[in-house]
Amino acid sequence: MYPFWEVPVWTSGIFIALIATFHILPSHLATGAFWFNVFIERKALKENRPGLLDFIKRYTLMILIFCFVYGSLTGVGIWFAATVASPRSISALIHNYVWGWATEWVFFILEIVTIYIYYYTLDKVSPKTHMRIGWIYAWSAWISMVIITGILAFMLSSDSWIRTGGFFDGFFNSTYWPQLFSRTALMLGIAGLYAIISASGMENEKDRNDVIRSASIWGMAGMVFGGIFSAWFLYKMPDAAKGLGLSGGLPYLKNMLYAAVVCYALVFLYMLVAGLLRPQLAGKTLGILMLVVLFLGIGAGEGFREGVRRPYIISQFMYGNQIIAADVPAKAIKSEKELFKDGFLAHIYFVPDGLRTITPENEKAVGHIIARHQCGNCHTFDADGKMRALPGLFTRLGMTSKDDIAGWMDAMEGYAYMPPFLGSEEEKQAVAAFLASKMQK
Amino acid sequence: MELTNYLNAMRDASGVPFYPVVFQFFLVLTFALHIMFVNFLLGGVVVSIWARIKATPNSLRLSKALARGSTINASLAMVLGVAPLLFVQVIYDPFWYTANSMSAYWAMAFLLILAVAFTASYVFYLSGSDKAPGASGWAVLALVALLAAAAVIHALSVEQLLPQMWKTWLISGQEVNASGKGLYAFEWHRFLHFIAPSIAMAGVYLMLYAWFFNGRKDYDRAYLQETATLGANLALYATAAQIAIGLWWLFSVPMEFAFYKNPFFLVGAGMGAAFFLFLMTARANPIKNAPVAALIAFLSIFLMSYAREALRMTYTGKVGYNIFDYKLSLDWGSTVLFLGTFVMGIVVMAYPILVAVQVAKNGKESNNEGLAKLATALPVVWFLVVAGLGIVISLKNGTLF
Ligand code: HEC
Repeated sequence: MYPFWEVPVWTSGIFIALIATFHILPSHLATGAFWFNVFIERKALKENRPGLLDFIKRYTLMILIFCFVYGSLTGVGIWFAATVASPRSISALIHNYVWGWATEWVFFILEIVTIYIYYYTLDKVSPKTHMRIGWIYAWSAWISMVIITGILAFMLSSDSWIRTGGFFDGFFNSTYWPQLFSRTALMLGIAGLYAIISASGMENEKDRNDVIRSASIWGMAGMVFGGIFSAWFLYKMPDAAKGLGLSGGLPYLKNMLYAAVVCYALVFLYMLVAGLLRPQLAGKTLGILMLVVLFLGIGAGEGFREGVRRPYIISQFMYGNQIIAADVPAKAIKSEKELFKDGFLAHIYFVPDGLRTITPENEKAVGHIIARHQCGNCHTFDADGKMRALPGLFTRLGMTSKDDIAGWMDAMEGYAYMPPFLGSEEEKQAVAAFLASKMQK
Repeated sequence: MELTNYLNAMRDASGVPFYPVVFQFFLVLTFALHIMFVNFLLGGVVVSIWARIKATPNSLRLSKALARGSTINASLAMVLGVAPLLFVQVIYDPFWYTANSMSAYWAMAFLLILAVAFTASYVFYLSGSDKAPGASGWAVLALVALLAAAAVIHALSVEQLLPQMWKTWLISGQEVNASGKGLYAFEWHRFLHFIAPSIAMAGVYLMLYAWFFNGRKDYDRAYLQETATLGANLALYATAAQIAIGLWWLFSVPMEFAFYKNPFFLVGAGMGAAFFLFLMTARANPIKNAPVAALIAFLSIFLMSYAREALRMTYTGKVGYNIFDYKLSLDWGSTVLFLGTFVMGIVVMAYPILVAVQVAKNGKESNNEGLAKLATALPVVWFLVVAGLGIVISLKNGTLF
């Protein structure tokens, strides 16, 4: 096991959650925006309305800074956060999907090169050339979504990969297409909302209202189709995920889903009223407020998708605590369950010499080390912790002594959303002793 | 559990999907490209501060051009950095993940610091007038942040080379430090060896700038000549300093490695020396010699990156780790996907770059119809091929409906 990073109160996962949530807006904007851009640019040319190009300039600069500074940084950030919070899981993903990521990277480079050139050559090259550059950007950016969706979907539904180990079997899995379609639709929704905001500052009244109307049609269509495809996604989720998310296995997940729906509905209404029907109502303040609402909605949706994967971080294959849970014969991978049941401590390198053998004096210290690796990815041990704090959870179950806790740990197998404890009897006692010591505070 | 066992046990159970030497090649290549833009960025910021403070009309103009260039260099440096980050995790995963986990807060801080650096360089560029960039304080902030980010990532790299120290760093008495707050290693010579070339590369960048805009009516000849001469001098003196720092570093590498005899090192160092000699003569006509100087500079960086990799192999070999015996789970499909996309990407990219160069040099584009059609069609073709493959596989596996 790699060194464990124990973040008090919140667990290290909070870093992934915060960065990933922020990343949603710039990433979806980067992929969706240019379809609308190219559309408006065509309109400007066909109807000979240079005023519309004013919009292109504003919109592109915003994308440039927001997406290619903060979007790229948070994109790399998710990766770094996963590296330090859950190294073995990001390693597993990379060792299976490195060429997928490398392929996506080629498109990243295309995006960067084309967006700068697109921005700096506006009015300097023929309209046709300019549109072509925009077109290359639009495709490259969207293709980066085509790729990353495969890897995200793999984490939720790895399907036949577990048997074949095949890159494409895991990639084009049962939730791939619904996710690709719903993300594509939603990205147009986001692009529409952004376009409304940046168009609202345009000077020419007619151009302004025209752009806002088109943007809201794009946005609303995106939301509607996004909704339809999301339903398809829910239908295609693995049964275990449905059990947790839809049938109340973990009730908070269902609430997240409701929250997402309410947010989307609000944004849809805004685009209908202040975009399509009364474009003069569109403005920056309310627009940005709506952006926040949409952001919360997507955040809830992504949280739902992450949540229903439990107990796994990679569907069927790796538990949330980074332990390999299944054989993958095609890759000669062995499950670690049996191995660790015989003794987990021996597989941790960073253990002080004095703690290698468990004694009554050191059992709490040993228990702490084991608990970090087996529970610490999902739970904090602090009594005042905010992320599924174990002292609170055990108190709620009415268990406070070492024996209570050890007994409960024997039955962990029964939980649908948690991996079982994997370790020897002695190690289990040590963990129980450590957890009980946290209760008394 | 002893160290060698730990390292080999932490290797990913999935193995690597293609021969490690290929990952190593792409690791070195993309690292070289990344570090070149990092150098352009860092050195460009330094020169733009100096030129902003000097505040003659020409120097303000240069400062403004560099400020604009910095925003682009920043984006390119970042996106190019993603690839070596990916490949190092494929073949050196036990080292990479251990070091990052030990210093987790620093790995997080790295990104925050970069955000500050990028924001400051954008403000520096955008807050100015047509003739000058914004207040130099912004560029200084960007510079400080960039240096701090470099220091962090440097420390994380050195931690990886010293696995025999890991337990000493993390374990004290009966305690295992899981706070992620420590940063444990720093080597000045190695750090400076990455920083000093920034000045040299900024020099090359100025030479290229003068060469590129030479002949355009809105760029006066004296301004370009002055810039190119400045560039050639910066490149020359910084390279001399770089050679001295390189020797210092060389002597600090454990003698038992006999690294001074390593062929990768010798070729890399030879190229660096060739660059120095070339600059001595190229100074007479820095505008004309700019492209060759840039080429030699890049080759030096590329070969030095190979030397850096050879050094890493020596360090990791000492603790019984060898990337070439990594478990292989060959996956031709995805390998072909990447290689094909890589080649396609170069073709597609050629088109917008060509247009940009034509516009910058001649004020208008030439006729590129053939390439234009190809470049706009290729991404669509890519998608159709991959989606077709996806549909076939989904139908075969019964996952589509
Ligand atoms: C993959 C993540 C994950 C891991 C690893 C994990 N848990 Fe949990 N655990 C959860 C989730 C999710 C819940 C539900 C929390 C809630 O209801 O808010 C939970 C709930 C609990 C509860 C309350 C159960 C109940 O019936 O209310 C206890 C006690 C608990 N965990 C203990 C542990 C212990 C001890 C370990 C380590 C041996 C552990 N967990 C490892 C995710 C995890």
